[in-house]
Amino acid sequence: MTSETDMTHKTLALEVNGRVVETRVPAHRTLLDALRDLGYVEVKRGCEKGDCGACAVLVDGVALDSCLTLAWTVEGCSVTTVTGLGNRTEMHPLQEAFVEHGAIQCGYCTPGLIIAAHSMLSENPSPSEADIRNGLSGNLCRCTGYTKVFDAVAKAAGAMREAGETS
Amino acid sequence: MTDTIPTGKAVTRDALRQVGRPLVRTDAVGKAVGKTMYVGDHVMQGMLHARVLRSPIASARLTRLDVSKARALDRVACVLTADDLERPLIAVDIPGQTGRARLETDQQVLVRDRVRYHGEPLALIAAETVEIAEEAMRLIEFDLEPIPGVYNPEDALQPGAPIVQGTDNVVAAQKIVKGDIEKGFREADRIIENTFQTQFVEHAFLEPEVGLGWVDENNIINLRASTQVIENFRFIADAIGVPHNRVRVRASLVGGGFGGKEDVTMECYIALLVKHTGRPIRLEFTREDSLMGHGKRHPFTMTYRTGVKADGTITALEVRLIADAGAYVFLSPYVLLYAAIAAPGPYRVDNLLIDGRAVATNNMYTSAFRGFGAAQAAVAYEQQMDEIAMELGIDRIELRRRNYLRSGDTISSNYPIESAVWTEECVDRAWAALGEPTEATGHLRIGRGVAAYQQSYGRITYLHDTSQAWVGVEIDGSVTVRSGVTDIGAGQVSALGQIAAEVLGVDLDDVAIYNSDSAVTPLAGTTTATRALYMTGNAVKVAAEALRGRLIERAAKSLGVASDGIDIADGTVFAIDDPGISMPFHELVKLSAADGIHCSELAIFRAPFSDGLDPETGEGQVHPDYVFGAHAIEVAVDVETGEVSILKSVAAHDVGRAINPTAVEGQIEGGAAQGQGFALSEEMIYEEGRLITPSFSEYLIPTSMDVPKVESIILESGTGLGPFGAKGIGEPALTPVAPAIANAVTDAIGVRVKELPITPEKIVAALHAEPT
Amino acid sequence: MLSGFELDLPDTLVGVLDLIADGRGTPAVPLAGGTSLIVDMRARRTMPNAVVWLGKIPELRGIQVTQDHVRLGPCTTVSDILNSDELAGSGVSLVRAAEAFGGQMVRNAATVAGNIACNSPASDLVPPLMALDAEVILESRSGSRTVALDRYFTGYKEDVRRTDELITGISWKRQEESSVDLFHKLARRKGDAITVVGVAVNMAVSDGTCMRARIALGAVAPTVLRAKRAESMLEGETLTPGLIEAAARQATEEASPIDDVRASATYRRHGIQVLTARLLTQAWGRLT
Repeated sequence: MTSETDMTHKTLALEVNGRVVETRVPAHRTLLDALRDLGYVEVKRGCEKGDCGACAVLVDGVALDSCLTLAWTVEGCSVTTVTGLGNRTEMHPLQEAFVEHGAIQCGYCTPGLIIAAHSMLSENPSPSEADIRNGLSGNLCRCTGYTKVFDAVAKAAGAMREAGETS
Repeated sequence: MTDTIPTGKAVTRDALRQVGRPLVRTDAVGKAVGKTMYVGDHVMQGMLHARVLRSPIASARLTRLDVSKARALDRVACVLTADDLERPLIAVDIPGQTGRARLETDQQVLVRDRVRYHGEPLALIAAETVEIAEEAMRLIEFDLEPIPGVYNPEDALQPGAPIVQGTDNVVAAQKIVKGDIEKGFREADRIIENTFQTQFVEHAFLEPEVGLGWVDENNIINLRASTQVIENFRFIADAIGVPHNRVRVRASLVGGGFGGKEDVTMECYIALLVKHTGRPIRLEFTREDSLMGHGKRHPFTMTYRTGVKADGTITALEVRLIADAGAYVFLSPYVLLYAAIAAPGPYRVDNLLIDGRAVATNNMYTSAFRGFGAAQAAVAYEQQMDEIAMELGIDRIELRRRNYLRSGDTISSNYPIESAVWTEECVDRAWAALGEPTEATGHLRIGRGVAAYQQSYGRITYLHDTSQAWVGVEIDGSVTVRSGVTDIGAGQVSALGQIAAEVLGVDLDDVAIYNSDSAVTPLAGTTTATRALYMTGNAVKVAAEALRGRLIERAAKSLGVASDGIDIADGTVFAIDDPGISMPFHELVKLSAADGIHCSELAIFRAPFSDGLDPETGEGQVHPDYVFGAHAIEVAVDVETGEVSILKSVAAHDVGRAINPTAVEGQIEGGAAQGQGFALSEEMIYEEGRLITPSFSEYLIPTSMDVPKVESIILESGTGLGPFGAKGIGEPALTPVAPAIANAVTDAIGVRVKELPITPEKIVAALHAEPT
Repeated sequence: MLSGFELDLPDTLVGVLDLIADGRGTPAVPLAGGTSLIVDMRARRTMPNAVVWLGKIPELRGIQVTQDHVRLGPCTTVSDILNSDELAGSGVSLVRAAEAFGGQMVRNAATVAGNIACNSPASDLVPPLMALDAEVILESRSGSRTVALDRYFTGYKEDVRRTDELITGISWKRQEESSVDLFHKLARRKGDAITVVGVAVNMAVSDGTCMRARIALGAVAPTVLRAKRAESMLEGETLTPGLIEAAARQATEEASPIDDVRASATYRRHGIQVLTARLLTQAWGRLT
């Protein structure tokens, strides 16, 4: 393996959750694989063809399926995973609402759902239930039946609007 | 060590402090912030990556398998074929704790000669990277000579059919006889017959099967595996030819199961590769692997012939069940038994004949899935009840009311139900909660349906089920629970913590749980069969109560109060009559430890044990107890396009006791969505045994756009055999949903589609003899 | 996993056109949202040696609405369409199709040119675009040409685009006030599902006479197609329920649906009939 850049391999500077990490990846590496190899294992592998949304991450604030995104194409962008939104001591309002409403069961779809909800709310801060449903339709969940997820996203939207108004 | 036989009497306390509260589950925050490590998130230095080569056709003879090019590929560590295996077979029965005889269910680990289903593994590959493993897989050459297969049970039962299993393809038969069926039919004013069908269904858990295996410093093969059943370590050890104590399985938090991670899947392949290479092995199924690599829900053909009096009283019921077992036995005999036992539903039927068979074909094998045969039976018995009501011109709910099984009545196997049977309450409450009917407009027709059910919780009693848990207190007053229970997403672990916290008077946050380790945590049995809370919850409660007793006895000495006058709450030990007389819980633990009092307890809980059923009549006890409830649905059907929208969805279940009401609601809501998929959109389709729905683009589980918000009505009779009178809700949440939807659709359009899934196409076809 | 390829990320259109022409010895395949191409590559249905990513050229993405025309940049995403206020007034059927398209992440990535270039008969965006008489602009190093979308597809997975050409725009004439464009799709579930039947209708009415009728059908033939004989039954006519039924029946005859895992040909024909009649009725109702 050479250290130079060619058209099949290069060293990328990826900005993930506000930190720049360097990683040498081949051109055909998906962002999903690249992130997991770097230890961002909160990005989940569910189907690798854009059917399930478990691997969703924010790229410049917009949710994408990382399984359908080539790692090279996000160089220079800001990538955010669910761990970049908050942590155990300071949760993001979406994370807090998912916890409080019991919207999490096995939790495997949760990172993707929260990312999709985040992306939807940045486009539409006051979503109707129909908007929430449409925003999450690319995220399959097999445990919850979505009822508590809708409640959690609506609650978080309110909290985020309030926080936005007061700050 | 405490050793308790259940009494069947519910223990209720006047003031529960932790149990019954909608507490935030102990696993919620870690999952929300993305810090929970699932099996697939663990890696090891020097690990190899594995892949499984699968047969592209369903029925064939393997005439050539040449792995030489794959083995020769750089950085390929190991390629295994059947010729490399010391033991060619692995058992696929329910893993027992008690040494009870198991069924003859062995399956070949890798194909040696004959392929019986599409996807049957031909070879295992381990390489330095996934890419190399996949490249090696493509270098394996093989010739498969197709041989005639059989792709539905009816054909498989014909004389001269290709034989897939045994001598006649019948892998299980179950008969239940009660009363006098002929007499019952003679007494009937009407006899109503219908045949209902269900389809192959996929569990579609979001986390595909994944495992990591290695050999540890004591020469033990360790596996972290995404499984519902760490007890499979025994079958894995047998299959790789080592003693049972040389395989250790851990599962921890699993990304969904629903029965699909009950059988051994990737674990045996990993163990074999670990044994052959001596290196850590990681095997993660792709979604395509997952859809081909574990058993499906059994399709059933269910013919119901019911004798009824003009007033709706059922006088006789004859049921014929045919289940497609697919290419291997797996849990088919048990699934068939559950279907047969549940066949009459929550109705009293004195004259009964149930005759079921599970039949081998060259389709994908079928095994455990939430509801386990009883869910398929519900699809038939509740549609049949609506058909009877329509034929007789009796209100659907009134007809049910005239036939409900009541507490003390005997179920199909002539065994009495002792716990509360609140079917009537549940049906009435769910139905009423639908409220005012939605108005029909344009091409839409509105319909409503209800379904009640009877669903067991706990394992088959003649399997002699047990569960163990260990509870201890640390000298700072924190509490530790150790139990082998695996959490597959429903909050199994958190519920145990809540029970320990309740008994020991601490908060849920004060409890730490070590779980799901077949070598270190006391074995709790499987997380299947709606048994985790019932069995392990009881074990935790028994252990915690014994420990509490010892600690309170010590407190009595210090506080100068009789031990029956002492309680523990919020970390304080106090006199009930004078709460001023108290001491901190952690002080009590310190005193107890200083006195050499045993500050932990290992308990075993035994379910009721029974012998097998009468082989002629099927009479006897099968399950510890049953859950009863109902689901009510309102739909809108577009009579031109056949599209169905679910407008309202209400569940009412008597769960005995809701340990955590939020978790109970979660199960109910999830069951409603899964039941909706079963009813309307999900179908694994096999053409000549070949899967033609290999991904989530073709296999359609409900999305956020498809499901209604679900209203849950949780009733608590307090009469269950579980801790604090709990029954269970894992499987019951699903069971009534599909028939309720089927009944609602029929109510809307006036004709019945008797074959699930009820697709727009089938609705259109049913409405027009020939679509325009 | 994907197998290896060369990847270029040029930041000019000329750079892209060079690469797809002969590139570095092998013509490169253009990649935009990846929601179709990456899936096909992973399944090894296509295995290009060289790929060129279009996402570094901002001018390829965007919606321009002038007095007479609407023009979409090729890399305009389905979400861009869905969130566009301008399109809500001059391409409602396209917005409806965007709404029914995949899930959010797929909509955020998938592009309008990609949805055309992937050549899927079940494409959601193509029926409304075809009913709007949209044109596709193809550019190569040797120049550019404009092809009516209606004549773009030549057969199953076949089209008029040469491998050295890139779709650089999609445009259509803004619709007059007295016109309506509608889209509806049938699928096996409501969220994120491949279309079983998609129908787009575009109609203009003047003085109680149907002046223009367009009916485009998705997922019922080797390509998305227009039911031109059905359209001509309507143009110049005052629509009646009987005429609408007859035109819808004619539309079913112009399709050539197949049985597949999602639906039978019979149901698809039925779906064309129902949706076409429904959309024509709605359109006529709104315009008269």
